[in-house]
Amino acid sequence: MAVYQHTYQHYAGVTTPLWSRFLILPRYAFQGVFQSKLFTGLFAICFAPLLVMTILIYFKHNTTALAAFGLSVSDIGFNINGFFFRVFTNIQTGFGFLLTVIVGPVLISRDLSNNALPLYLCRPLTRTDYVIGKMSVIGFLLSLITWVPLLLLFFFEAYLEGASWWWENLFIARAVLVVSWAHIILLALLATALSAWLKWRIAASGALFAVFTIPTPISIMVNEMFSTNLGTLIHPSFVLNLLMDKLFRLESGMLPDWMVPPTWSLWASLIVLALICVGLLSLKVRAYEVVK
Amino acid sequence: MNAVAIEAPTLGSGWSLWRRQIAGILRLEIKKNFLSKRALPMYLLAAIPVVIMMMLALFDRGMRRGVRTNFAEAMIVFSNLHEGLILRTVIFFGCAWIFMNLFRGEVVDKSLHYYFLSAVKREVLVVGKYLSGLIASCTLFLLTTAGALFFLYLPRGVQANLDYIFNGPGWAQITDYLGITILACVGYGALFMVIGLFFRNPIIPALFVYGWEWLNFLLPPMLKKISIIHYLHSLVPVPVNEGPLAIIGEPTPQWIAITGMLIVTAIVLFLASMRIRRMEIHYGGE
Repeated sequence: MAVYQHTYQHYAGVTTPLWSRFLILPRYAFQGVFQSKLFTGLFAICFAPLLVMTILIYFKHNTTALAAFGLSVSDIGFNINGFFFRVFTNIQTGFGFLLTVIVGPVLISRDLSNNALPLYLCRPLTRTDYVIGKMSVIGFLLSLITWVPLLLLFFFEAYLEGASWWWENLFIARAVLVVSWAHIILLALLATALSAWLKWRIAASGALFAVFTIPTPISIMVNEMFSTNLGTLIHPSFVLNLLMDKLFRLESGMLPDWMVPPTWSLWASLIVLALICVGLLSLKVRAYEVVK
Repeated sequence: MNAVAIEAPTLGSGWSLWRRQIAGILRLEIKKNFLSKRALPMYLLAAIPVVIMMMLALFDRGMRRGVRTNFAEAMIVFSNLHEGLILRTVIFFGCAWIFMNLFRGEVVDKSLHYYFLSAVKREVLVVGKYLSGLIASCTLFLLTTAGALFFLYLPRGVQANLDYIFNGPGWAQITDYLGITILACVGYGALFMVIGLFFRNPIIPALFVYGWEWLNFLLPPMLKKISIIHYLHSLVPVPVNEGPLAIIGEPTPQWIAITGMLIVTAIVLFLASMRIRRMEIHYGGE
């Protein structure tokens, strides 16, 4: 066919469904993320506590294996209960925070500093798709080390203990799921918002740490000086830990009772923080930018 | 036609030249430190203790630790606020931001080569930048401390405060708190400037320092001395209770604390000067 006859024709092949178009962003992001040996090493280390957890659950139910070490079930000084899962959920979300600090700060900043955002948004990808795509990088990574393995271990324990344990402890599965997703959504929103506003990677990492460290003395001071529990609400880490205690049906060991606000206010403070992040993202993630 | 020899303009030498160069660097840097967008988080951070003390002054009547009713208790509260919030948080993070940005910020903005290409000794550049950071941090955090003190005294009324300041221990306490604030800026400033020069990613060493400073009360007396907060803690006019788990160490005498801090700062600045002499810029790596 002659060259002049090659006119524009609409693509007639199969198109990707609209809902799944954002998945292109994490696909390419993971290729970059796992090129770093340091990150891959840290990601592998994240599974070490889960391995320990599996071994503990296994030993708790295997008298033959215990006998090989000269131990009996009564020698094991812990129970597989809400506290057990709370401790490991805490460890895993802590690792999740470290992964976010490494991966999060460059998610959007590189696109913004290289003026690459129009290249994304000129394709059939909305601003929301773009942000969800970037957040899903953190979402997938953190899911793999938090709720997915923890729920599998919950089912493993339920299988070994029987149906009655499963029914009595169903709240643990709910707590694992809710706490993990609260962490994932909050960390993903914070990381992407800071990445969009602070183009310097180190500053964004520092700011992510600062969000969780600077409020510590402030909230304690406010609580102590004004005899209130409102100060607790400005500290995301306190809020998440208190929610964790409530969902796992445990007493709060972190703060005295009078510093613990009602549950609805804990959720409200997280929602406010999330909305602030969404607002910051909507201000910054635009196809064009007027530079004065 | 006779050629006329034109003499090159004399720039001066030695101290007079360096003084002028430092003054020039200060003019540029102070403007950057106070007026750039990067200064905004500092203003917000510095305002937090003042706002807390202002709230305490406004809602004083209903408070358990009211300033009017129990001033001795209020002084203890302020001492805790000064050490826990102003020194360990506001000045720590503030100095980290200001002093790490002095060089690392220029690298990010791809503007450090302008300084390196000008006829300025790099050691002079270090001193000029350090002094600019020190002026910015001292101004900001002295205002924070002074503002917090103002709202501590405010609810007691003018006469009671004049009596307390000029006929009581008030004046000595105010100068002590302001002096400790300056010393904190001097110490943390030098430390963070050198961290910013030696490490491409200064977050990890900065977090290590943060953890070390916060856990200082748990450290054995010998290790306590390898920290800045220990010397600042030794100088506070109203002692702060470090809690039941604290390992009590002998407080360092005032003259040793101040002299030691200044000597350590001089050593750290010397190290920074040594480092910057061999520094090469790789903007692409940032």
